[in-house]
Amino acid sequence: MKILLVDDSMIMRNILKNIISDQMMVDTEFKEAPDGKAAFEILDHNTIDLLLVDWNMPELNGLELVKMLRMMDKYKNLPILMVTAESAKYNVMEAIKEGVTDYIVKPITAAMILKKTEMYIK
Amino acid sequence: MNVKYVNPFIEATRNVFREFVGLYVKANKPFIYIPNTETIKYDISGIIGLAGEVLGMVVISFPKAIALKTVSHITNTEALMFDEVAIDSIGELINIIAGNSKKALEEVKIVISLPSIVKGYNHQFAWMSGVPVICIPFDLESGEFYIFVSLKNLII
Repeated sequence: MKILLVDDSMIMRNILKNIISDQMMVDTEFKEAPDGKAAFEILDHNTIDLLLVDWNMPELNGLELVKMLRMMDKYKNLPILMVTAESAKYNVMEAIKEGVTDYIVKPITAAMILKKTEMYIK
Repeated sequence: MNVKYVNPFIEATRNVFREFVGLYVKANKPFIYIPNTETIKYDISGIIGLAGEVLGMVVISFPKAIALKTVSHITNTEALMFDEVAIDSIGELINIIAGNSKKALEEVKIVISLPSIVKGYNHQFAWMSGVPVICIPFDLESGEFYIFVSLKNLII
């Protein structure tokens, strides 16, 4: 299984990677990107099974990336988890409207990430 | 002081330290901060700009030892200097605090900026003229750090 982690914080990407690789039962390969633009290039050259994406990032932010992906047929069914500090209800609603599959508010817990990740890789 | 607009930042800081850093912090009494007249000292700050229906800034400022202790807890490795990892950690910390504060401030639509980091002993900020700055000191086991909040038209 291939997971793409998109977050401008390297620390956050490492935390997510450690949680998933330490506790998931399936073999996982990780790809990483610090912004939406870099993520788009990775998606173009790889088959990704699950996308974890932050909202606030330079270049192309997470919401803009989701909007672009959902306009393309090949990414219409890609599971996208938005993992962000944006906690307001209007942010959650906007992200869901633009096509994120699920929404996780930072700070994350291992249990929360594993539960959601397992839900979308089956 | 209208605590309605200060409490969300206190709550978010407490929660984020507990859940993201793994440390319990105690908030002390907030006060109106007058730049250049206070005796508080710090070496590194994480800054988030606030826009949308408000205009302002939220800042976390640390003395060096407290910053490195916080970073060490976040990364599970001993932080010895303000390197790329420390800067990334403090940026992510203020990003999560600002983002979490929005939950209790939903009556106003707030857009948060990407974090910026400033280093240097007692660096100063160009706060918005005429807008009060509230300082909330927090106790960590071995010292203090500070959250500064300045929101045009909302705090007082």
